[in-house]
Amino acid sequence: MSSQDHLKETDTEARFEFKKEENSAFKSEKGLTEETIRVISEDKDEPEWMLERRLRALEQFQAMPMPTDWPEAPDLSEVDIDEIVPYIRPDIDVRGGVDDWTDLPDDIKDTFDKLGIPEAEKNALSGVGAQYESEIVYQNMQEQWEEKGVIFCDMDKAVREHEELVKEYFMTKAVPPSDNKFAALHGAIWSGGSFVYVPEDTTVEMPIQAYFRMNSEGMGQFEHTLIIAEEGSEVHYIEGCSAPKYSAFNLHSGGVEVFVGEDAHVQYSTVQNWSKNTYNLNTKRAIAEKGGRMEWISGSMGSKATMLYPSTILKGRGASDNHITIAMAGEGQDIDTGAKVYHNAPNTKSTIESKSIAKDGGRTNYRGLVHIADGAENSSTAVECDALMFDNESTSDTMPYMEINESKVDVAHEATVGKIGDEDIFYLQSRGLDDDDAKQMIVSGFIEPITEELPIEYAVELNRLVELEMEGSLG
Amino acid sequence: MSTKAIESLSEDTVRRIAEERGEPEWLLETRLDALEALETAKLPDVIQTPGRRWTDLEALDFEQLVDPLNQSDTTERAGGDDDVVVLPFTEAFDEYGELIEAQFGSVLAPDENYLTALSVALFTTGTFVYVPEGVDVEDVTVRAEMSSRSLFSQTLVVAEESSSVTILESITSADDDVDGDRYFSNLVEVVAGENANVQFGSLQNLDEETYTYALKRGVTDTYATIDWIESNFGSKLTRSDVETELAGDGSESQIVGTFFGTDDQHFDINARVWHEAEHTTADLVTRGVLDDVARSVYEGVQDVGEDAWNTSSYQRENTLMLSDDAEADASPKLIIHNHDTEASHSATVGQVDAEDLFYLESRSIDSRTARNMLVEGFFVPVLEEIAVDEFREDVTELVFERLQ
Repeated sequence: MSSQDHLKETDTEARFEFKKEENSAFKSEKGLTEETIRVISEDKDEPEWMLERRLRALEQFQAMPMPTDWPEAPDLSEVDIDEIVPYIRPDIDVRGGVDDWTDLPDDIKDTFDKLGIPEAEKNALSGVGAQYESEIVYQNMQEQWEEKGVIFCDMDKAVREHEELVKEYFMTKAVPPSDNKFAALHGAIWSGGSFVYVPEDTTVEMPIQAYFRMNSEGMGQFEHTLIIAEEGSEVHYIEGCSAPKYSAFNLHSGGVEVFVGEDAHVQYSTVQNWSKNTYNLNTKRAIAEKGGRMEWISGSMGSKATMLYPSTILKGRGASDNHITIAMAGEGQDIDTGAKVYHNAPNTKSTIESKSIAKDGGRTNYRGLVHIADGAENSSTAVECDALMFDNESTSDTMPYMEINESKVDVAHEATVGKIGDEDIFYLQSRGLDDDDAKQMIVSGFIEPITEELPIEYAVELNRLVELEMEGSLG
Repeated sequence: MSTKAIESLSEDTVRRIAEERGEPEWLLETRLDALEALETAKLPDVIQTPGRRWTDLEALDFEQLVDPLNQSDTTERAGGDDDVVVLPFTEAFDEYGELIEAQFGSVLAPDENYLTALSVALFTTGTFVYVPEGVDVEDVTVRAEMSSRSLFSQTLVVAEESSSVTILESITSADDDVDGDRYFSNLVEVVAGENANVQFGSLQNLDEETYTYALKRGVTDTYATIDWIESNFGSKLTRSDVETELAGDGSESQIVGTFFGTDDQHFDINARVWHEAEHTTADLVTRGVLDDVARSVYEGVQDVGEDAWNTSSYQRENTLMLSDDAEADASPKLIIHNHDTEASHSATVGQVDAEDLFYLESRSIDSRTARNMLVEGFFVPVLEEIAVDEFREDVTELVFERLQ
């Protein structure tokens, strides 16, 4: 486990919140106007249809209200799009990402070294994409996968090189810009992200990873991820994110679309550690065909406010979904996250497991929707939410919604909220642990059912993040 | 304004109602304030998810439904004991005027929403129940029969220190010739003093042309208990909110709900509890059955405040679907602001268990009878929570009727 040495670093500033000089080749004006979008599209040398889609999304964005009428919705009053720099192209020679870390400028290379990405690539991944500000700066995949026809490239490049596929799938079927205000915003100014295509009956054995890093103050990051897994294929995609902390707010509004073909299996794992001035407002959605299986694994540790509800549309008979969510909110954080599943075909199945921890005045909320359509007979869903609270300054909410239009179903929802058990702490203390260690151990145990689903490297990372958060509160 | 103005409604209407009933000046003022509030008040919140609104209250045509000056009901009230006061307001003002003035609207603000404001401005029936300190009565009954286009009812229960009371209310439709849609509004306020114990059971079995709005809320003082039983069988559309504010240390509340929907009935059932003091306990239990194209919407809220140390709060909701065309929506919510809490909720939706059915059939019980037995069995856990025999029998009877 020597490769995990960097994880033992206990100073979060050194780990995630270090800042680099802003060094851009192109930077848009603050705010969002038609002109900004034309400039971004031109800088990317995009085809006309993409510019048109962006402009249409902009219109929708301007027409839609903020999601303020939700019960107990996080406070987004600070999020003023006119204060955001939507597009910063880092100063690098090769557009679409180099395939050798040493070709990157020192400050960018150093950033990803500190985050441990090249190390992880060597040990555990099939491919890596790394985004800095608005564009992918590094992109590489092992040759064996390329030979099998697997595509893993940055999204901007995909628009040019895989135009027909992108044109067909990009924000047309899974996440239309009209879905919500931030999806519309995303549709207007998206930049960077990954395009993944896995051909029929191909199993990508090791995960591929994308890492998204925001470095500049006051910027918005809007990467788009499109994954197409053809019939019988299998892929595990991992994304990580972080940013240094600034006094002004940053905005992350990513868009993720996953197409799970017949009997295909896609796992999408996210470990989110945005700085505590970042608003993280994403739209992630998968459509699963007959027998397809979608898994969402999310760890939400960072950000000032997160609103994220990965959704799966179980479109084909026998499709299944599995959501695993961990949320942790400390001082000043509002982590509002959950899941959405639409059972639109017979014999579909979903399970949602959510674990959340609120402390030091933070708020966590599970907000989820399970919809079973008329005719989706023999479908089943099981939702389980457990929340742990540390103090009475914190808030822990649970708001599931169930819409059941079919009688031949098995629907169950369960939730619990509680504090760390005094008896548990006492027991551990009687075994010689101090109070802090005892609490850490209990929290690790609390989230274990979820961390054990992750590849070891990420489980270790997630545990370490939780420990860092705990030390922050207890030290 | 969130809903259409009711043109036939004016200050004059409200004054006439108050005058005919010989009400004190303060109540007229309260009614007029409520009338004014209609201009800005909104309909009660309804759950919305992307593209769907769970209950469409906006569709109610109050111009058609509300006929304020022709309200009519036959209500039998019985205290069963001389120590308890069970009277219509009109007969209670002389002796209990001050008490009523002090408590009326103390739990439910008339301008809380459009439907409460409408109800306070126009009510012509209802009951005042007063249980003096230390009095213990078990048999308060209020049986109401509605015989007009619209009926607005207002109930106030004041239970003083260390008193105990069980109140059973029932509401049905009279066999008369009012054609078309009708509207029944039922507001209930319960003030439970220190160590008081109030059990309030309600059985609604109005005909299926009636739209029903019921909002029942209680506030507990120290060590007080308020237990609700809310049974809904009738009406075309029912919006029912049963709520307890646990304001006193060591106070408790149980909210038991049952419903059985057939044809195109729509039930919007809500149970809410606010834990505001220390050592409070709440238990919310709802069971419902849906047949034909009936639809149910359930929201349960357990809200634990910052100062609610040592809270225990539980919620269970189960819906049984007998028909493929029925629909059940549910949203149990936990809002927890104090970590010294043990809280849980669960909700299920499903059909009659196939193995249970198979077992009964293998014992040569025909499938219809077997299904009915299982439905009756489904209600047992909530029936067991009902301490009053008579009430439990009434509910059982209604379940049985619907299974025929």
